[in-house]
Amino acid sequence: MLPTPLANIPRPVRIWCWTFLLILGMPSALFAADLQISDARMRLLPGDIPAAGYFTLTNTGETDNTLIGADSASFGNVTIHQSVSKNGVSSMQHVDQLTVAAGEQVEFAPGGYHLMLMKRKHPIAVGDEIEVTLLLGNGQRQNVKFRAGAPTTQ
Amino acid sequence: MRQCIMTVFVSLWLMGCGEQTWQTKDLSGLMPPLAFNLVDENGNDVTADQYLGRSTLLFFGFTHCPDICPTTLARLDAATQRLKETDRDDIQVLFVSVDPRRDDPASLRAYTDAFGPQFIGLTGNKAALDELTRRYRVTYGYGEEDGNGNYEVSHSSAVFAFNEQGKARVLIRDSDPMDAVVADLKTLVDDG
Repeated sequence: MLPTPLANIPRPVRIWCWTFLLILGMPSALFAADLQISDARMRLLPGDIPAAGYFTLTNTGETDNTLIGADSASFGNVTIHQSVSKNGVSSMQHVDQLTVAAGEQVEFAPGGYHLMLMKRKHPIAVGDEIEVTLLLGNGQRQNVKFRAGAPTTQ
Repeated sequence: MRQCIMTVFVSLWLMGCGEQTWQTKDLSGLMPPLAFNLVDENGNDVTADQYLGRSTLLFFGFTHCPDICPTTLARLDAATQRLKETDRDDIQVLFVSVDPRRDDPASLRAYTDAFGPQFIGLTGNKAALDELTRRYRVTYGYGEEDGNGNYEVSHSSAVFAFNEQGKARVLIRDSDPMDAVVADLKTLVDDG
């Protein structure tokens, strides 16, 4: 049997080490916002045609959380939409709110959920980072930077 | 050995003689040839005859559609990028807006130009759009206006592919794998 190296470490140092490891292992939700947003990107279309916003929404918390809306200083109107295809016919539906259960992930991706960003207030170029605020059911407001991309952005 | 070579030879010969095998939905004989009277993105009255001589992909949509329409157009762009250049030049994508109220020729042109030179915007009045959509048995419709004057448009999400003589060949859907779309575009170009 191998000797346990821990036994050679003085007791106060050992306690400190264990405490440190315990903190490391704690759920990150205690330190971070419950809803994490990643891969935020914007599909930019020419002229005054609305843009689409895509991202991944992850609820790292222990309670359900709800996305109830979004706004941006760069757009006059931002809404949550969902594209639906039924019997070969596509349409968009307005989404009033979207609940992300604890530990769950929701993709805002082409052909499904997306932000519809209308009435651009200033010119936006491919590569620009545009701030959008996501409004959550618990009253939190989360600022997210979306990278503007070409019309073929997926 | 000789028998084996013979079998391969006969198979190849039969394949060459037979009908094309498509990987997306075969429409041959099921849909009428390409025909329409519409307005192009420069404001000119146009008919389908003017677009013969190249393979045509026909898609119904509208520009105030930031999700589905660009996704389909981007897929078609990605598929054509995988063809060799001469084949790519033989394909045009006709984007027919079923929302003429918002889509004047100028905004249509701005929209299709953003995807590439092979994308051409067309639209028309209700009678012309109804005639065309009925011809290919697709529907479109408008939702209620919201407080900002915005309204949704429902439209067919599939792409109708015609060979260079305007004969209906396949229906490409968003669910079709990219490899199948690329293979069928290649067959479509060779079909002419």
